[in-house]
Amino acid sequence: MELEEVFSSKPRMRILKLIYTLGSLNVSNVAKKIGLNYASTSEHLKVLEAEGILQERTYGRVRMYRFNEGSAKAKAVQNLIDAWEQ
Amino acid sequence: MASHSVFKDETKLDINYIPSKLPHRDSEHRLLMEFFSFMLRYPERMAQRVIVTGDVGTGKTALTQRFGADMTSETKKRAIKFRYIHINCREYRGSLALILHHAVAVFRPTYPSRGFSGEEILRTLLQVLDEEDMHVILTLDEFDSVIEKEGSDAVYKLTRLQEMQQGKPQRTSFIFIIRDLKSIEQLDASAKSTLQRNIISLERYGKDQLIDILNDRVVMAFELGAVPEDVVFLVSELAIGESGNARFAIELLWRAGKYADAEDAELVEPECVRKAVSAIIPGLRRSELASLGLHERLLLLGVARYFKESQEAYASLGEIEKAYGVVCEEFDEQPRGSTQVYNYVQYLSSLGILKAEVATVATRGRSTRISLPAIPAVELEKQLSASLEKDKA
Repeated sequence: MELEEVFSSKPRMRILKLIYTLGSLNVSNVAKKIGLNYASTSEHLKVLEAEGILQERTYGRVRMYRFNEGSAKAKAVQNLIDAWEQ
Repeated sequence: MASHSVFKDETKLDINYIPSKLPHRDSEHRLLMEFFSFMLRYPERMAQRVIVTGDVGTGKTALTQRFGADMTSETKKRAIKFRYIHINCREYRGSLALILHHAVAVFRPTYPSRGFSGEEILRTLLQVLDEEDMHVILTLDEFDSVIEKEGSDAVYKLTRLQEMQQGKPQRTSFIFIIRDLKSIEQLDASAKSTLQRNIISLERYGKDQLIDILNDRVVMAFELGAVPEDVVFLVSELAIGESGNARFAIELLWRAGKYADAEDAELVEPECVRKAVSAIIPGLRRSELASLGLHERLLLLGVARYFKESQEAYASLGEIEKAYGVVCEEFDEQPRGSTQVYNYVQYLSSLGILKAEVATVATRGRSTRISLPAIPAVELEKQLSASLEKDKA
Protein backbone atom coordinates (compact mmCIF):
# COMPACT_ATOMS: atom_id res chain seq x y z
CA MET A 1 0.00 0.00 0.00
CA GLU A 2 1.21 3.49 -0.85
CA LEU A 3 2.15 5.88 1.95
CA GLU A 4 -0.66 8.32 1.18
CA GLU A 5 -3.15 5.47 1.19
CA VAL A 6 -2.07 4.21 4.60
CA PHE A 7 -2.23 7.61 6.24
CA SER A 8 -5.24 9.06 4.40
CA SER A 9 -7.65 7.21 6.66
CA LYS A 10 -8.88 9.12 9.72
CA PRO A 11 -9.75 5.95 11.72
CA ARG A 12 -6.25 4.54 11.06
CA MET A 13 -4.63 7.71 12.32
CA ARG A 14 -6.86 7.61 15.38
CA ILE A 15 -5.91 3.98 16.00
CA LEU A 16 -2.21 4.80 15.79
CA LYS A 17 -2.54 7.71 18.21
CA LEU A 18 -4.56 5.56 20.61
CA ILE A 19 -2.09 2.67 20.64
CA TYR A 20 0.78 5.12 20.93
CA THR A 21 -0.87 6.48 24.12
CA LEU A 22 -2.05 3.21 25.69
CA GLY A 23 0.64 0.73 24.66
CA SER A 24 -1.42 -2.21 23.52
CA LEU A 25 -5.13 -2.81 22.99
CA ASN A 26 -7.50 -5.53 21.87
CA VAL A 27 -9.84 -5.04 18.90
CA SER A 28 -13.02 -4.45 20.94
CA ASN A 29 -11.35 -1.83 23.04
CA VAL A 30 -9.97 0.02 20.02
CA ALA A 31 -13.40 -0.10 18.35
CA LYS A 32 -15.07 1.28 21.46
CA LYS A 33 -12.57 4.08 21.91
CA ILE A 34 -12.63 5.32 18.31
CA GLY A 35 -16.39 4.81 17.93
CA LEU A 36 -16.24 2.38 15.01
CA ASN A 37 -17.77 -1.08 14.58
CA TYR A 38 -15.73 -4.20 15.30
CA ALA A 39 -15.41 -5.41 11.68
CA SER A 40 -14.13 -2.07 10.30
CA THR A 41 -11.76 -1.63 13.21
CA SER A 42 -10.38 -5.11 12.69
CA GLU A 43 -9.84 -4.33 8.96
CA HIS A 44 -7.91 -1.13 9.75
CA LEU A 45 -5.78 -2.96 12.28
CA LYS A 46 -4.98 -5.66 9.74
CA VAL A 47 -3.85 -3.00 7.24
CA LEU A 48 -1.54 -1.46 9.82
CA GLU A 49 -0.22 -4.90 10.70
CA ALA A 50 0.36 -5.80 7.07
CA GLU A 51 2.37 -2.59 6.68
CA GLY A 52 4.57 -3.73 9.57
CA ILE A 53 3.59 -0.77 11.77
CA LEU A 54 1.62 -2.78 14.31
CA GLN A 55 2.00 -6.34 15.48
CA GLU A 56 -0.65 -8.67 16.79
CA ARG A 57 -0.33 -10.94 19.84
CA THR A 58 -2.98 -13.53 20.59
CA TYR A 59 -3.72 -14.51 24.19
CA GLY A 60 -6.34 -17.23 24.08
CA ARG A 61 -9.40 -15.51 22.60
CA VAL A 62 -7.91 -12.02 22.83
CA ARG A 63 -6.05 -10.30 20.00
CA MET A 64 -3.92 -7.42 21.25
CA TYR A 65 -2.24 -4.91 18.94
CA ARG A 66 0.84 -2.81 19.66
CA PHE A 67 3.63 -1.09 17.74
CA ASN A 68 6.00 -3.51 16.05
CA GLU A 69 9.15 -2.93 18.07
CA GLY A 70 11.56 -4.11 15.37
CA SER A 71 10.05 -2.04 12.57
CA ALA A 72 11.56 1.19 11.22
CA LYS A 73 8.11 2.26 9.98
CA ALA A 74 6.67 1.86 13.49
CA LYS A 75 9.49 3.95 14.92
CA ALA A 76 8.92 6.67 12.30
CA VAL A 77 5.18 6.79 13.04
CA GLN A 78 5.83 7.02 16.78
CA ASN A 79 8.29 9.87 16.19
CA LEU A 80 5.75 11.67 14.02
CA ILE A 81 3.00 11.39 16.67
CA ASP A 82 5.44 12.41 19.37
CA ALA A 83 6.48 15.55 17.47
CA TRP A 84 2.92 16.38 16.45
CA GLU A 85 1.28 15.93 19.84
CA GLN A 86 3.84 17.88 21.88
CA MET B 1 -5.90 23.23 63.29
CA ALA B 2 -3.07 22.58 65.75
CA SER B 3 -0.10 24.92 65.49
CA HIS B 4 2.19 22.24 66.80
CA SER B 5 2.17 18.52 66.11
CA VAL B 6 3.34 15.53 68.13
CA PHE B 7 4.09 13.84 64.81
CA LYS B 8 7.37 14.01 62.97
CA ASP B 9 6.19 11.75 60.12
CA GLU B 10 2.79 10.13 60.59
CA THR B 11 3.10 8.14 57.33
CA LYS B 12 5.29 5.77 59.35
CA LEU B 13 2.09 4.70 61.14
CA ASP B 14 0.16 4.13 57.93
CA ILE B 15 -1.21 0.64 57.36
CA ASN B 16 0.69 0.43 54.06
CA TYR B 17 4.05 1.47 55.47
CA ILE B 18 6.52 -1.41 55.52
CA PRO B 19 9.48 -0.74 57.83
CA SER B 20 12.97 -1.74 56.70
CA LYS B 21 13.17 -4.21 59.60
CA LEU B 22 10.34 -6.11 61.23
CA PRO B 23 11.00 -6.64 64.93
CA HIS B 24 10.53 -10.25 66.11
CA ARG B 25 10.00 -11.63 62.61
CA ASP B 26 13.69 -12.16 61.70
CA SER B 27 13.59 -15.95 61.68
CA GLU B 28 10.42 -16.06 59.57
CA HIS B 29 11.95 -13.57 57.12
CA ARG B 30 15.11 -15.69 56.91
CA LEU B 31 13.01 -18.79 56.30
CA LEU B 32 11.17 -17.12 53.43
CA MET B 33 14.48 -16.01 51.89
CA GLU B 34 15.72 -19.59 52.26
CA PHE B 35 12.62 -21.03 50.56
CA PHE B 36 13.17 -18.73 47.58
CA SER B 37 16.97 -18.70 47.50
CA PHE B 38 16.91 -20.85 44.34
CA MET B 39 15.38 -17.89 42.53
CA LEU B 40 18.57 -15.93 42.99
CA ARG B 41 20.79 -18.78 41.81
CA TYR B 42 18.77 -20.72 39.23
CA PRO B 43 15.64 -18.64 38.59
CA GLU B 44 14.22 -20.80 35.81
CA ARG B 45 14.69 -24.22 37.26
CA MET B 46 11.94 -24.41 39.80
CA ALA B 47 8.94 -22.68 41.32
CA GLN B 48 7.96 -22.57 44.97
CA ARG B 49 4.78 -22.55 47.01
CA VAL B 50 4.71 -21.33 50.60
CA ILE B 51 1.86 -20.79 53.03
CA VAL B 52 2.12 -17.97 55.58
CA THR B 53 -0.44 -18.26 58.33
CA GLY B 54 -1.28 -16.46 61.59
CA ASP B 55 -3.94 -14.46 63.39
CA VAL B 56 -5.01 -10.90 62.56
CA GLY B 57 -2.19 -8.43 63.24
CA THR B 58 0.62 -10.99 63.45
CA GLY B 59 2.47 -9.39 60.54
CA LYS B 60 1.65 -11.73 57.65
CA THR B 61 1.21 -8.93 55.12
CA ALA B 62 4.09 -6.85 56.46
CA LEU B 63 6.43 -9.87 56.44
CA THR B 64 5.63 -10.88 52.86
CA GLN B 65 5.81 -7.32 51.55
CA ARG B 66 9.14 -6.77 53.29
CA PHE B 67 10.36 -10.03 51.78
CA GLY B 68 9.03 -8.95 48.36
CA ALA B 69 10.94 -5.66 48.54
CA ASP B 70 14.12 -7.47 49.60
CA MET B 71 13.79 -10.03 46.80
CA THR B 72 13.25 -7.20 44.33
CA SER B 73 16.49 -5.50 45.30
CA GLU B 74 18.42 -8.81 45.38
CA THR B 75 17.23 -9.84 41.91
CA LYS B 76 18.01 -6.36 40.58
CA LYS B 77 21.61 -6.70 41.78
CA ARG B 78 21.85 -9.99 39.88
CA ALA B 79 20.12 -8.64 36.75
CA ILE B 80 17.27 -11.17 37.05
CA LYS B 81 13.97 -9.93 35.61
CA PHE B 82 11.66 -10.26 38.60
CA ARG B 83 8.40 -8.80 39.94
CA TYR B 84 6.85 -9.27 43.35
CA ILE B 85 3.05 -9.00 43.07
CA HIS B 86 0.95 -8.79 46.24
CA ILE B 87 -2.81 -9.18 45.76
CA ASN B 88 -5.49 -9.03 48.43
CA CYS B 89 -7.91 -11.72 47.23
CA ARG B 90 -10.81 -10.42 49.31
CA GLU B 91 -10.75 -7.18 47.29
CA TYR B 92 -11.62 -9.35 44.28
CA ARG B 93 -14.25 -11.28 46.22
CA GLY B 94 -12.11 -14.43 46.00
CA SER B 95 -12.58 -14.72 42.21
CA LEU B 96 -9.54 -16.43 40.69
CA ALA B 97 -10.16 -14.88 37.26
CA LEU B 98 -10.20 -11.33 38.67
CA ILE B 99 -7.16 -11.99 40.87
CA LEU B 100 -5.13 -13.35 37.98
CA HIS B 101 -6.32 -10.51 35.78
CA HIS B 102 -4.71 -8.11 38.26
CA ALA B 103 -1.42 -9.99 37.78
CA VAL B 104 -1.72 -9.87 33.97
CA ALA B 105 -2.55 -6.15 34.12
CA VAL B 106 0.79 -5.47 35.84
CA PHE B 107 2.41 -6.27 32.46
CA ARG B 108 -0.50 -5.63 30.07
CA PRO B 109 -2.52 -2.81 31.67
CA THR B 110 -5.09 -2.72 28.86
CA TYR B 111 -5.83 -6.46 28.85
CA PRO B 112 -9.64 -6.80 28.91
CA SER B 113 -11.00 -7.85 32.27
CA ARG B 114 -14.33 -9.44 31.47
CA GLY B 115 -15.49 -12.76 30.11
CA PHE B 116 -12.53 -15.00 30.86
CA SER B 117 -12.21 -18.07 33.02
CA GLY B 118 -9.49 -18.40 35.64
CA GLU B 119 -7.73 -20.97 33.49
CA GLU B 120 -7.72 -18.72 30.41
CA ILE B 121 -6.21 -15.86 32.34
CA LEU B 122 -3.67 -18.17 33.92
CA ARG B 123 -2.50 -19.24 30.46
CA THR B 124 -2.34 -15.59 29.41
CA LEU B 125 -0.22 -14.82 32.46
CA LEU B 126 2.22 -17.60 31.59
CA GLN B 127 2.43 -16.38 28.00
CA VAL B 128 3.03 -12.79 29.08
CA LEU B 129 5.78 -13.89 31.49
CA ASP B 130 7.47 -15.85 28.71
CA GLU B 131 7.27 -12.82 26.40
CA GLU B 132 8.78 -10.60 29.07
CA ASP B 133 11.31 -13.24 30.22
CA MET B 134 10.03 -12.42 33.70
CA HIS B 135 9.86 -14.31 37.01
CA VAL B 136 7.21 -13.51 39.57
CA ILE B 137 6.29 -14.27 43.14
CA LEU B 138 2.53 -13.91 43.42
CA THR B 139 1.44 -13.39 46.99
CA LEU B 140 -2.25 -14.14 47.38
CA ASP B 141 -3.25 -12.40 50.61
CA GLU B 142 -6.47 -13.52 52.35
CA PHE B 143 -6.40 -16.64 50.21
CA ASP B 144 -9.13 -18.06 52.48
CA SER B 145 -11.59 -16.06 50.36
CA VAL B 146 -10.51 -17.92 47.19
CA ILE B 147 -10.91 -21.29 48.92
CA GLU B 148 -14.33 -20.18 50.12
CA LYS B 149 -15.48 -19.07 46.67
CA GLU B 150 -13.73 -21.40 44.26
CA GLY B 151 -12.86 -24.44 46.38
CA SER B 152 -10.38 -27.14 45.40
CA ASP B 153 -10.56 -26.37 41.70
CA ALA B 154 -8.79 -23.03 41.97
CA VAL B 155 -6.06 -24.38 44.23
CA TYR B 156 -5.59 -27.31 41.89
CA LYS B 157 -5.21 -25.02 38.86
CA LEU B 158 -2.65 -22.84 40.58
CA THR B 159 -0.61 -25.68 41.98
CA ARG B 160 -0.64 -27.57 38.66
CA LEU B 161 1.14 -24.69 36.95
CA GLN B 162 4.47 -26.48 37.02
CA GLU B 163 2.99 -29.41 35.06
CA MET B 164 1.56 -27.01 32.46
CA GLN B 165 5.04 -25.55 32.07
CA GLN B 166 6.96 -28.81 31.77
CA GLY B 167 10.11 -28.45 29.71
CA LYS B 168 9.78 -24.64 29.85
CA PRO B 169 11.30 -22.16 32.31
CA GLN B 170 9.50 -22.02 35.66
CA ARG B 171 8.47 -18.44 36.23
CA THR B 172 5.65 -18.34 38.77
CA SER B 173 6.00 -18.96 42.50
CA PHE B 174 3.27 -18.46 45.06
CA ILE B 175 2.90 -17.33 48.64
CA PHE B 176 -0.54 -18.06 50.01
CA ILE B 177 -1.53 -16.01 53.06
CA ILE B 178 -4.15 -17.86 55.05
CA ARG B 179 -5.52 -16.64 58.37
CA ASP B 180 -6.80 -20.00 59.53
CA LEU B 181 -5.32 -23.29 58.30
CA LYS B 182 -8.66 -24.93 58.99
CA SER B 183 -9.92 -23.45 55.71
CA ILE B 184 -7.57 -25.86 53.90
CA GLU B 185 -9.39 -28.77 55.50
CA GLN B 186 -12.34 -28.28 53.15
CA LEU B 187 -10.15 -28.91 50.09
CA ASP B 188 -9.96 -32.32 48.49
CA ALA B 189 -6.95 -34.51 49.24
CA SER B 190 -4.90 -33.76 46.10
CA ALA B 191 -5.31 -29.98 46.37
CA LYS B 192 -4.47 -30.14 50.05
CA SER B 193 -1.34 -32.19 49.57
CA THR B 194 0.08 -29.86 46.88
CA LEU B 195 -0.50 -26.86 49.11
CA GLN B 196 0.73 -28.04 52.47
CA ARG B 197 4.45 -28.26 51.94
CA ASN B 198 6.09 -25.18 53.32
CA ILE B 199 4.20 -23.50 56.09
CA ILE B 200 5.36 -20.48 58.08
CA SER B 201 3.20 -19.88 61.15
CA LEU B 202 3.33 -16.49 62.80
CA GLU B 203 2.65 -16.61 66.53
CA ARG B 204 0.69 -13.83 68.23
CA TYR B 205 2.88 -11.02 69.54
CA GLY B 206 3.47 -10.88 73.28
CA LYS B 207 3.41 -7.66 75.28
CA ASP B 208 7.19 -7.12 75.20
CA GLN B 209 7.26 -7.73 71.47
CA LEU B 210 4.46 -5.21 70.94
CA ILE B 211 6.38 -2.70 73.04
CA ASP B 212 9.42 -3.17 70.78
CA ILE B 213 7.29 -2.72 67.66
CA LEU B 214 5.63 0.40 69.08
CA ASN B 215 8.91 1.89 70.27
CA ASP B 216 10.34 1.51 66.76
CA ARG B 217 7.37 3.34 65.29
CA VAL B 218 7.42 6.01 68.00
CA VAL B 219 11.01 6.89 67.05
CA MET B 220 10.11 7.06 63.35
CA ALA B 221 6.75 8.81 63.58
CA PHE B 222 6.77 11.10 66.63
CA GLU B 223 8.77 14.06 67.83
CA LEU B 224 11.38 13.19 70.42
CA GLY B 225 9.75 12.68 73.84
CA ALA B 226 6.19 13.17 72.56
CA VAL B 227 5.11 9.67 73.57
CA PRO B 228 5.84 8.78 77.22
CA GLU B 229 6.87 5.23 78.07
CA ASP B 230 3.68 4.47 80.00
CA VAL B 231 1.57 5.38 76.95
CA VAL B 232 3.45 2.77 74.94
CA PHE B 233 2.76 0.26 77.76
CA LEU B 234 -0.91 1.18 77.78
CA VAL B 235 -1.27 0.79 74.01
CA SER B 236 0.53 -2.56 74.09
CA GLU B 237 -1.76 -3.78 76.86
CA LEU B 238 -4.83 -2.80 74.90
CA ALA B 239 -3.45 -4.61 71.86
CA ILE B 240 -2.86 -7.73 73.96
CA GLY B 241 -6.57 -7.57 74.76
CA GLU B 242 -7.11 -7.64 70.99
CA SER B 243 -5.12 -10.90 70.60
CA GLY B 244 -1.73 -9.21 70.27
CA ASN B 245 -2.82 -7.38 67.13
CA ALA B 246 0.11 -5.16 66.08
CA ARG B 247 -1.91 -3.40 63.40
CA PHE B 248 -4.47 -2.40 66.03
CA ALA B 249 -1.66 -1.15 68.32
CA ILE B 250 -0.11 1.01 65.59
CA GLU B 251 -3.46 2.42 64.52
CA LEU B 252 -4.30 3.19 68.16
CA LEU B 253 -1.02 5.01 68.58
CA TRP B 254 -1.73 7.08 65.49
CA ARG B 255 -5.26 7.94 66.67
CA ALA B 256 -3.97 8.89 70.11
CA GLY B 257 -1.49 11.21 68.39
CA LYS B 258 -4.35 12.76 66.43
CA TYR B 259 -6.28 13.43 69.68
CA ALA B 260 -3.16 15.02 71.17
CA ASP B 261 -2.83 17.26 68.10
CA ALA B 262 -6.51 18.20 68.26
CA GLU B 263 -5.93 19.42 71.81
CA ASP B 264 -2.71 21.15 70.80
CA ALA B 265 -0.91 19.06 73.43
CA GLU B 266 2.86 18.64 73.57
CA LEU B 267 2.56 15.00 74.65
CA VAL B 268 0.39 12.02 73.81
CA GLU B 269 -1.24 11.42 77.17
CA PRO B 270 -3.03 8.30 78.43
CA GLU B 271 -6.35 10.13 78.08
CA CYS B 272 -5.66 10.49 74.33
CA VAL B 273 -5.24 6.71 74.13
CA ARG B 274 -8.49 6.18 76.02
CA LYS B 275 -10.32 8.52 73.67
CA ALA B 276 -8.75 6.80 70.68
CA VAL B 277 -9.66 3.34 71.87
CA SER B 278 -13.24 4.32 72.58
CA ALA B 279 -13.46 5.41 68.96
CA ILE B 280 -12.38 1.93 67.88
CA ILE B 281 -13.92 -0.32 70.53
CA PRO B 282 -17.33 0.49 71.92
CA GLY B 283 -16.59 1.55 75.49
CA LEU B 284 -18.88 1.53 78.44
CA ARG B 285 -22.53 1.01 77.60
CA ARG B 286 -25.10 2.99 79.55
CA SER B 287 -26.92 -0.21 80.50
CA GLU B 288 -23.74 -1.51 82.14
CA LEU B 289 -23.47 1.66 84.18
CA ALA B 290 -27.08 1.46 85.34
CA SER B 291 -26.56 -2.09 86.59
CA LEU B 292 -23.74 -1.04 88.94
CA GLY B 293 -24.38 -0.53 92.67
CA LEU B 294 -24.04 2.88 94.33
CA HIS B 295 -20.54 2.31 95.76
CA GLU B 296 -19.29 0.72 92.58
CA ARG B 297 -20.29 3.89 90.76
CA LEU B 298 -18.79 6.09 93.49
CA LEU B 299 -15.53 4.18 93.24
CA LEU B 300 -15.59 4.44 89.46
CA LEU B 301 -16.17 8.19 89.71
CA GLY B 302 -13.11 8.38 91.97
CA VAL B 303 -11.11 6.46 89.34
CA ALA B 304 -12.34 8.73 86.53
CA ARG B 305 -11.40 11.90 88.48
CA TYR B 306 -8.01 10.48 89.44
CA PHE B 307 -7.08 9.77 85.82
CA LYS B 308 -8.60 13.01 84.56
CA GLU B 309 -6.51 15.08 86.92
CA SER B 310 -3.26 13.13 87.15
CA GLN B 311 -2.59 12.35 83.46
CA GLU B 312 -1.00 9.12 84.68
CA ALA B 313 -1.69 5.79 82.97
CA TYR B 314 -1.69 3.74 86.17
CA ALA B 315 -2.76 4.19 89.78
CA SER B 316 -2.17 2.16 92.92
CA LEU B 317 -5.04 0.71 94.93
CA GLY B 318 -4.24 3.20 97.73
CA GLU B 319 -4.54 6.18 95.37
CA ILE B 320 -7.87 4.92 94.07
CA GLU B 321 -9.14 4.32 97.61
CA LYS B 322 -8.23 7.92 98.48
CA ALA B 323 -10.04 9.30 95.42
CA TYR B 324 -13.07 7.14 96.29
CA GLY B 325 -13.05 8.56 99.85
CA VAL B 326 -13.24 12.13 98.49
CA VAL B 327 -16.20 11.22 96.25
CA CYS B 328 -18.01 9.53 99.19
CA GLU B 329 -17.62 12.71 101.22
CA GLU B 330 -19.09 14.74 98.37
CA PHE B 331 -22.12 12.43 98.12
CA ASP B 332 -22.45 12.12 101.89
CA GLU B 333 -21.77 8.40 101.94
CA GLN B 334 -19.71 6.34 104.39
CA PRO B 335 -16.79 4.79 102.39
CA ARG B 336 -16.48 0.99 102.41
CA GLY B 337 -13.38 -0.70 103.82
CA SER B 338 -10.24 -1.66 101.88
CA THR B 339 -11.26 -5.28 101.31
CA GLN B 340 -14.59 -4.22 99.83
CA VAL B 341 -12.88 -1.59 97.65
CA TYR B 342 -10.54 -4.32 96.41
CA ASN B 343 -13.58 -6.49 95.59
CA TYR B 344 -15.21 -3.62 93.66
CA VAL B 345 -12.02 -3.14 91.67
CA GLN B 346 -11.92 -6.85 90.82
CA TYR B 347 -15.58 -6.78 89.76
CA LEU B 348 -15.18 -3.66 87.58
CA SER B 349 -12.08 -5.26 86.10
CA SER B 350 -14.05 -8.41 85.22
CA LEU B 351 -16.53 -6.19 83.36
CA GLY B 352 -13.64 -4.75 81.36
CA ILE B 353 -14.26 -1.20 82.63
CA LEU B 354 -11.07 -1.10 84.69
CA LYS B 355 -7.96 -3.12 84.41
CA ALA B 356 -6.40 -4.41 87.63
CA GLU B 357 -3.14 -6.29 87.56
CA VAL B 358 -0.64 -7.36 90.14
CA ALA B 359 2.67 -5.58 89.77
CA THR B 360 5.80 -6.53 91.65
CA VAL B 361 7.55 -3.63 93.32
CA ALA B 362 11.10 -4.54 94.32
CA THR B 363 11.08 -2.89 97.72
CA ARG B 364 7.51 -3.54 98.82
CA GLY B 365 6.50 -6.87 97.28
CA ARG B 366 3.25 -7.17 95.28
CA SER B 367 0.78 -4.38 94.71
CA THR B 368 -2.30 -3.86 92.53
CA ARG B 369 -1.93 -1.52 89.57
CA ILE B 370 -5.11 -0.03 88.15
CA SER B 371 -5.67 1.50 84.74
CA LEU B 372 -8.63 2.77 82.78
CA PRO B 373 -7.79 1.33 79.40
CA ALA B 374 -10.75 1.81 77.12
CA ILE B 375 -12.91 4.71 78.29
CA PRO B 376 -11.95 8.38 78.34
CA ALA B 377 -11.90 9.57 81.97
CA VAL B 378 -13.78 12.74 81.03
CA GLU B 379 -16.57 10.77 79.39
CA LEU B 380 -16.79 8.33 82.30
CA GLU B 381 -16.97 11.14 84.84
CA LYS B 382 -19.76 12.82 82.88
CA GLN B 383 -21.85 9.65 82.68
CA LEU B 384 -21.32 8.73 86.34
CA SER B 385 -22.08 12.20 87.64
CA ALA B 386 -25.34 12.22 85.69
CA SER B 387 -26.26 8.78 86.99
CA LEU B 388 -25.45 9.65 90.65
CA GLU B 389 -27.27 12.98 90.50
CA LYS B 390 -30.32 11.14 89.16
CA ASP B 391 -30.19 8.80 92.19
CA LYS B 392 -30.03 11.77 94.57
CA ALA B 393 -33.05 13.49 93.04
